[in-house]
Amino acid sequence: MMLQTKKWRQYGTFYAFVSPWLIIFITLGVFPLLYGLYLSFTNYTGFNMDKLKFVGFNNYKTVFEDSESIYALGRTLLVTAINVPLSLAIGLFLAILLNLKIKGLSWYRTAFYMPSVVPVVSTVLMWKFIFSGEGLLNTFFNRLHLPQVSWLGYEYATTALIVMLLWGAGSSLLINLAGLKGIPADLYEAAEIDGASPIRKFFTVTLPLMTHVLFLNLIMGSIASLQMYIQPILLTGKTLLDPPIKPNYLYLVHAFQQIFAFQRFGYGLALMWVLFIAILLLTILVFYSSRYWVYYETEQEV
Amino acid sequence: MKKRIMTSLAAIIATCVLITGCGTSSGNVNEDQGGNTSNEPQTGASTDAQVTIRVALNKGEVSDDEVTEFETNNPGIKIKLEELNPQKLAAQIATNDAPDLIRAQGAVDLTSYVVKGLAMDLTPYLQKSEMLKEDDFLPPVNLFRFDGKVQGQGPLYGMPKDWSPDFTIFYNKTLFDAAGVQVPDSKSPLTWNELMELGKKLTLKEDGKVKQYGLALGSKTQADLPSIMDYLASKDVKVFSEDMKTADFTKPEVKEAVSMWVDAVKNNLGKNDVNQDPATWGGDLFMNNKAAMIMAGYWFSGMIRGDEKMKTHLNDFGMLPAPIAENGNLVSPTGAATGFIISKNTKNPDQAWKVFEYIMAGTPAKNRASGGWGVPALKSLIPLMPQETDFDKRVYNQLQEELKYSNVPLESNPFLLNGQTLLDKYVTPVYFGKADLDDALNELTKNMNLIIQENMNAIQ
Repeated sequence: MMLQTKKWRQYGTFYAFVSPWLIIFITLGVFPLLYGLYLSFTNYTGFNMDKLKFVGFNNYKTVFEDSESIYALGRTLLVTAINVPLSLAIGLFLAILLNLKIKGLSWYRTAFYMPSVVPVVSTVLMWKFIFSGEGLLNTFFNRLHLPQVSWLGYEYATTALIVMLLWGAGSSLLINLAGLKGIPADLYEAAEIDGASPIRKFFTVTLPLMTHVLFLNLIMGSIASLQMYIQPILLTGKTLLDPPIKPNYLYLVHAFQQIFAFQRFGYGLALMWVLFIAILLLTILVFYSSRYWVYYETEQEV
Repeated sequence: MKKRIMTSLAAIIATCVLITGCGTSSGNVNEDQGGNTSNEPQTGASTDAQVTIRVALNKGEVSDDEVTEFETNNPGIKIKLEELNPQKLAAQIATNDAPDLIRAQGAVDLTSYVVKGLAMDLTPYLQKSEMLKEDDFLPPVNLFRFDGKVQGQGPLYGMPKDWSPDFTIFYNKTLFDAAGVQVPDSKSPLTWNELMELGKKLTLKEDGKVKQYGLALGSKTQADLPSIMDYLASKDVKVFSEDMKTADFTKPEVKEAVSMWVDAVKNNLGKNDVNQDPATWGGDLFMNNKAAMIMAGYWFSGMIRGDEKMKTHLNDFGMLPAPIAENGNLVSPTGAATGFIISKNTKNPDQAWKVFEYIMAGTPAKNRASGGWGVPALKSLIPLMPQETDFDKRVYNQLQEELKYSNVPLESNPFLLNGQTLLDKYVTPVYFGKADLDDALNELTKNMNLIIQENMNAIQ
């Protein structure tokens, strides 16, 4: 009996301490989420709250019948499939370079991390001036007597978008560096004694011991990439309601347009929930696969 | 044990403080009147309560001085200007937090506000008003009348603050000279085809780069919904069914109009999606001597008049009539008629009306008229329009010609907002040669009808 009350008291203390987060999570997290789920089953258009009609799975049906949302989802997956692995590789490569005890390390670290600090709107504006018809890149091409390229046109808009995203690949730099610093030096010494080449050392020591960091970056990067919308919109458009050029018409852009340009709140929320479920499934898949490729020094389960 | 209770309590208190802390700080931001807010409840109890009227508009449409003047003359009413942002407004309307006065365009979104039940009927206020008299109204005020079926009839839901026939063309003679082209006679309007041909001749290239554009538009020189509707008005073709339930953009006349713009993109007449010119808007090109012509309403003369560099040689600038379709009717409609409505959900309709009257007939209206920023909505303000320089007079006289043909309202559908966004989405692939124009217009029609249908269902 005594033990029980003590346990309850412990629970009480625990919840009292997490209550700031809990209250905020419930009021600003769970409630809006479920409210959004409810609205996705109605014909809500932003002003007809008193005449709301329940439309069942109609909005969800539209998501899959609408050629645009599936097209947009395809483009989003493509961009993610290119962007995420490349930025992981670049992030790791930069971190390894910076881990070689070179001079001016902190300077480089700042320089590579800078893009992640710059607000996204300024980043996009900057790249817009680089990529635009008579922009920096084409002026440069002109000097070298190379043909002009329509970077923001149909053929290259997605490439331009990915290049812009990769500019921010340094965001995983700090966490990668921390991971590299955590690799015990004696492992490298042992490898050296065994006569391992630097490449061999990378593949047998560095990479396995970095998998948990890569795993984290993979999950975070994929989610961020699937939820991207402002970069493609502003790269070719001027206002948030401008539809980007078709190859950059990503999934969340579609949802954003449906809600804010056409007040299709119900349909837009259905789009969001489909994306949410897709992200959830993808994350579960990655988590499941992680037991085959992620190495933890302490034998703990994910 | 006591300790534990104390820690729990401390945690709870900390939470409360955190939450209320967030609450008050964000509250202050909303009030915006700084220190006053905390005193208000006390003073409010004894004297008349302060009422704040929120006005959603574009920056600069009402100045801070004008706000101060109004507040001094109307103690008890404060004006809070809010920069209009479509996403924010949609969210505000959805959460029943709409501003009291909302910027609306008679030719674009007025009917949509009415069918959604978001606009207040101003007729009873108008009947009692000292400042606004119905017989002082110019015809475009009627764009703010809607009886649920026909625009221009029924109750009044708002007023344009100013307006222009929006398809007139301003020219820069220096750039005509550079291209060796004569400025056309302003007595008779060009046809759309002639205008595009002229634009081609005025577009000059140097080493494969555009040196000067022929024809700028407000945004991009590509398929622009208002100018397509203008073309259709000149052709006397309707795209929306009488019951507003369907749209048909597959009609041959629509195709004529859109293909004209597809050619304009091919010929680089102005900033477009293909050349991605970084100019912020078409006016930017014209003001920097990079576009020989710009299609813009009378209000644009205010830009030229106010520009330090252009002021010195105003004789090089002038206004040409709005173009018409081949064998089409003479029309010079307004594509905007920007003004205000009062939200139906306003808690202070009387005070909101006072602000409305002030913006429509008070100092802001007089300032707008004398600055030449558009044609006033009231006859009594017309004499204030600038007529000093030769430029002023030429533009003013041309305007009088245009006004004779300005009574044609452009077609719009209350259940279809942001038609431009849809148009862009389906026609842009055509500019890049990635889609066929017929297919694009079919898709456009299909999606327009879907949205019209959904919006109709939502209010039934």
